[in-house]
Amino acid sequence: MSLNLEDRKKIGSALVVGGGIGGMQAALDLAESGIKVYMVDNKSSIGGVMSQLDKTFPTNDCAMCTMAPRLVEIGRHKDIEKITLSEVESITGQPGNFTVKIKKQPRYVDEEKCTGCGACVSNCPTRNTVQLQEREVITLEPQYEETVINILQKHKDRKGPLMPILQDVNEVYNYFPEKILKYISQETGYPLTHINRIATFYSAFSLKPIGKHVINVCMGTACYVRGAELLLEKFVDVLGVGIDETTEDMLFTLKSVRCIGCCGLAPVATIGDDVYGKLQSKDIPDIIAKYQKKEQ
Amino acid sequence: MVEKRRIELMLCAGTGCVAGGAFQIIEGLEKEIAARGLEKEVSVVQTGCNGFCGQGPLMVVIPDNIFYGWLTLDDIPHLVEEHFLKGRPIEKLMFTPPEEKEVLPMLSDIPFFKKQLLVVLRNKGIIDPEKIDDYIARDGYVAIEKVLTSMSPDEVIEEVKISGLRGRGGAGFPTGVKWKIASQQKKTPKYLIANCDEGDPGAYMDRSLIESDPHAVIEGMFIAGYAIGSSEAFIYMRTEYQLAVDRMKTAISQAREYGLLGKDILGSGFDFDIEIREGSGAFVCGEETSLIHSIEGDIPEPRQRPPFPAQEGLWGCPTVINNVETLANVPVIITRGADWYSGIGTETSKGTKIFSLVGKINNTGLIEVPMGINLRDVIYDIGGGIPDGKEFKAVQTGGPSGGCIPADLLDAPIDFESLQKAGSMMGSGGMIVMDEDTCVVDVSKFFIQFTNDESCGKCVACRDGSEALLEVLTRITNGEGREGDVEFLEELGETIKDASMCGLGQTLPNPVLSTLRYFRDEYEAHIKEKRCPALVCRNLIQYYIDPDKCIGCLKCLKNCPANAILGELKYVHIIDQDKCTKCGQCLEECPPKVSAVIKVTGNDMDDLKQLSEIIPVPKKKKKKKTE
Amino acid sequence: MPKLTIEELRKKRESSKKSIYLREGKFRGKVTVHMGTCGIAAGAREIMNTFLDEFDNKDIIDIMLTSSGCAGLCSEEPMVTVEMEDSAPVKYGKLTPDKTKKIFNDHIITGNIVEEFVLGIGSERVG
Repeated sequence: MSLNLEDRKKIGSALVVGGGIGGMQAALDLAESGIKVYMVDNKSSIGGVMSQLDKTFPTNDCAMCTMAPRLVEIGRHKDIEKITLSEVESITGQPGNFTVKIKKQPRYVDEEKCTGCGACVSNCPTRNTVQLQEREVITLEPQYEETVINILQKHKDRKGPLMPILQDVNEVYNYFPEKILKYISQETGYPLTHINRIATFYSAFSLKPIGKHVINVCMGTACYVRGAELLLEKFVDVLGVGIDETTEDMLFTLKSVRCIGCCGLAPVATIGDDVYGKLQSKDIPDIIAKYQKKEQ
Repeated sequence: MVEKRRIELMLCAGTGCVAGGAFQIIEGLEKEIAARGLEKEVSVVQTGCNGFCGQGPLMVVIPDNIFYGWLTLDDIPHLVEEHFLKGRPIEKLMFTPPEEKEVLPMLSDIPFFKKQLLVVLRNKGIIDPEKIDDYIARDGYVAIEKVLTSMSPDEVIEEVKISGLRGRGGAGFPTGVKWKIASQQKKTPKYLIANCDEGDPGAYMDRSLIESDPHAVIEGMFIAGYAIGSSEAFIYMRTEYQLAVDRMKTAISQAREYGLLGKDILGSGFDFDIEIREGSGAFVCGEETSLIHSIEGDIPEPRQRPPFPAQEGLWGCPTVINNVETLANVPVIITRGADWYSGIGTETSKGTKIFSLVGKINNTGLIEVPMGINLRDVIYDIGGGIPDGKEFKAVQTGGPSGGCIPADLLDAPIDFESLQKAGSMMGSGGMIVMDEDTCVVDVSKFFIQFTNDESCGKCVACRDGSEALLEVLTRITNGEGREGDVEFLEELGETIKDASMCGLGQTLPNPVLSTLRYFRDEYEAHIKEKRCPALVCRNLIQYYIDPDKCIGCLKCLKNCPANAILGELKYVHIIDQDKCTKCGQCLEECPPKVSAVIKVTGNDMDDLKQLSEIIPVPKKKKKKKTE
Repeated sequence: MPKLTIEELRKKRESSKKSIYLREGKFRGKVTVHMGTCGIAAGAREIMNTFLDEFDNKDIIDIMLTSSGCAGLCSEEPMVTVEMEDSAPVKYGKLTPDKTKKIFNDHIITGNIVEEFVLGIGSERVG
């Protein structure tokens, strides 16, 4: 593939006709490559037929799961302009330079003229009143406040501060209390949805409180071929909890982890900072008991 | 005053050895040395990963160059007294190759080390990674001197181009070309990112490199920054690699103290600094566009290329992303010259490559070998062959993006092209050896499970494709495989390859496709005969106690977690197949002399002699003699 | 801020080289102090210490100083063997710190064997 910029100069913009699943993907791909996209659909919203389906052929995939991320993505993409309730009237020109005439249906509020004054909301006589939410101001309990403010302060001037902030918070609390996330959103200006997506994307983050000792059973290839699965089963058996669950006494959280890079000691599990190499399932009950004893 | 000692003990303090108790050993040694008044003569040096992780905790005694492995605290007093005081090395702690009797005292005699060629890891085990002076003494930061005093950025790029250095992260893109593209961009500022988000299971080259020689990476980053005109750099590291992160932090602050990072470096007027960013456990972040998003604080999902990061990357600016191993090659290329460097390796793949050699192999560890060496040398000479006299089956290279290479391709050279031709890839350098007891279908399932977990979910082909692959593979390993499944896997695999956006999706079917290519019969055995030839897939095997061999010792019976074994002392034990969970505990418990517990699969299960009631153990005396 | 110039970096490199010289494994010669139980009883530790001090004072780094087990001539302890590049090993016996210093100065520094303390030149035949 040529890397010469001249060859791939972006010209003008692209028009995607139809906002179904195919159109949405095309629009996204185009926009991601840096091309301005206009998207025309004759309905009042994009989504097409797929939005009416439960499952799709041949894999029985849930239709909404395929669509929803794209809907969201298109909704907030700065390079995609949606022209709904509209139809293409004519196309003239040739490849590389088309002129398209689009007929846009009238709608209830003229977007062009609306100033967002809210008068229609307050005067609306029907029961479908638009509810504008008051933004609540979040204040943290004193015991959280100082730590979190310090963390925010520390990363204030950084470029792309969100990850370091979340990592530091995670370091202190081991999980993300909901209120703290809301507070971070309020202070940094990142939308809560964005923070939530990040907080749930990485495996090191959790929205639920986790146990004092995190047990990580390595499921790297070297450990796997040396029987790590049996170890995991034994842990499940001994602790009485499943993977990614925490014991009732909040002592242990069981996790399986991708390679921790101690392949020479396979199979390996770590409990907190302690590494147990060449672990055998018969040793597990004693190891767990050791930690339980420490707590008494 | 230069500190001088008669003996230096180079203690490996890489993650593997630390997990094995290296820090306790160091403490014990220091105490014992002090107790005998030898502290003026003997010093303990913490080095980075020595590479021979299977022997850890380990040390090398300088100047005799004697290698001691599997150290324990109990060995220390004897060791200090005999070797360091009286000068009599201890044979018991030396390395003995498996299946041989003769010990090999010297590090240089051990085949594991003999066949290696250290370029990137030239300082491993020789320097203390937490001391910048050690690195400087080994001609460290000479390359910085050279580029600042006598080379223009273009000359640096040209030198790297001539050297033939290709990216060590997996795809093998020529490094010089990447730098050239970034240097030609008009937009500023430019950024440099060192990629140390090493996520392949079974691979830990990057971690060891940073643990043993962090300054080599810093120096390489500096030169890359100088070449492309970037003053701001990031190193993106896995947060799971805490020791490596800590060593990098130390190294960066030492370099800053010496003015080798910061403003106006060595009076040249060039500024350069490095910031560490940690990932939080998402495999896809190793993909360059995801990595950029992660640093920006965005959702770490890949995006469409072009534009390539070298054109538009971090915050829309030209960004070069290099693997840390690639960067560690750069100082050597600059100091010793591109011609010297391109003399190592093959026509298209120059230099050396670090591999982590793991799995069913005698010498587990980290190795650096010249490109073009064949797999046989790596597995049998360096790796010491397969343990317990088992048969070699395949080697998996390139992690979840790579494939399996079967025994008949063992003589193929290791370079970018020939691995690709074999249906695998160089990848970041994990090399997982499998023996006859490894089921390829099961391993493929494992990799797909991994990529399925780690797929970010942005594009359908990867997200749903991996799901469908996993479903079929699970079905096959459960003994519910259907006619046509193999063809379906192939077709689906090719589709995922074509339709995915980033490297993760484009390569995820490789483990399945390559095993289908070389071990199709094993898939068919699972599907058609409901047989797992490697005796791994639980639903296809049975544990069985041979009534002619069982001595009725109760060992397996007592340890069976499912209470599935019936029997009494001196009566032949029987496994109740309805209760058996196939955990394999009985096989482990059965004394090796007896070995009455066996695994069977497929038709063999029907041929077994089934006992209807518990019978006494047959009289053994005569039988033993005739056997 | 203590910033280095290129000159200073080079100087630093030269001095650091000495501190890790041992690990490079390039030696011009080797001095072995025999430290079996008999040797230690006869005062081998003192001889070792004298060597260490002398090496330090003269800043010698390219000669390996090591210990070994009993040499089999317990009556002559403390003993040392001096092997310099390109010449046969020389064994000295019944040493004292003063004798050691003389051996150090004459043999190791200037290369003249100290005939009066010599036990033997050359090593036992091996195998």
